[in-house]
Amino acid sequence: MNIAALGLDAFVPGAAFPDLDLPDHSGRPRRLSELAGGDPLVLLTSRGWFCPKEQRHLRELVKLQDEFEVAYTRIVVVSADPPAEQAAFRAGLGARFTFLSDAERRRLEPLGLRETTDTVHDPYQPAAFTLFPDLRIHTAYNGYWYWGRPTLEDIRRDMRAISATLRPDWRVPA
Amino acid sequence: MSGGSSRLIWDGERLATELHAAGRRFRADPRCLAGEPVADAWAHDCALADGDARLPFDFPEIQHCRRDALAWWIPLLGDSFVCLTTLAVDPVNYGGAVTVARDASCFDSDQFARIFPGTVVRTSLFCALAPPPGPVIERYSGVAWPGGSFG
Repeated sequence: MNIAALGLDAFVPGAAFPDLDLPDHSGRPRRLSELAGGDPLVLLTSRGWFCPKEQRHLRELVKLQDEFEVAYTRIVVVSADPPAEQAAFRAGLGARFTFLSDAERRRLEPLGLRETTDTVHDPYQPAAFTLFPDLRIHTAYNGYWYWGRPTLEDIRRDMRAISATLRPDWRVPA
Repeated sequence: MSGGSSRLIWDGERLATELHAAGRRFRADPRCLAGEPVADAWAHDCALADGDARLPFDFPEIQHCRRDALAWWIPLLGDSFVCLTTLAVDPVNYGGAVTVARDASCFDSDQFARIFPGTVVRTSLFCALAPPPGPVIERYSGVAWPGGSFG
């Protein structure tokens, strides 16, 4: 599949999201599958700290981390901000999840998620993906316009659906 | 190298993994003891040798220490960070936490010392691990946080 040519349309339910290898907000090399750690995952691609829509949406996501922290589910944000900027942004948000930095734009083009309308920052297109632990896509959200992004209820619904298929004891054992 | 055992023993002055070492026995995140050890690292052992020094993992104070570890403690340690593990007494109770780093200069800020006071020791027992990605602070089937997985 030529993901780059299809852009967001390539990310259909059931397709495998690429196992990104990027430095985190502290500069350490990470892989997306390692960050999932066997749990459901919500992955956001973000324009970066400078965008008011990103600031607003990530503040919403920070509210949800209090549920994620007890629900065996993960959150990862990818942007083209350098690690030091991500670390500052993360601290300012009060986030306790991982940011991945593609400051060198290594994965931007292969993923087909370059936001071509912003020639100043050359950022990621805002999108969100709810993923199974093996990085299969449950749902993809196009966040170019703010209302295309998943609400907290959308994310809760997706995490519930993924977890229900994943946890063998979802139905209380007799 | 301990071969990935979770056994960690603390006598108030020295950390050990040997089966018959004297001291209080804990279960640590086994990944911290499974790889190539970092020689002459520093460990901040926020635990007591007294067997009564325990609190449920689910107490809000213990939960909040784990949140702080994800939010600012690990970022504060930066490249010095080697690994971090809580210390499980049993499936319910927390007995302390150990942060391992290549220098000890930030250990005065360790939030785990709010629960049980910390002792700084030189150690070559622990291997370098990637920090926990967060935001999960719960344990997986009783494994000492941040270890374990359902995957």
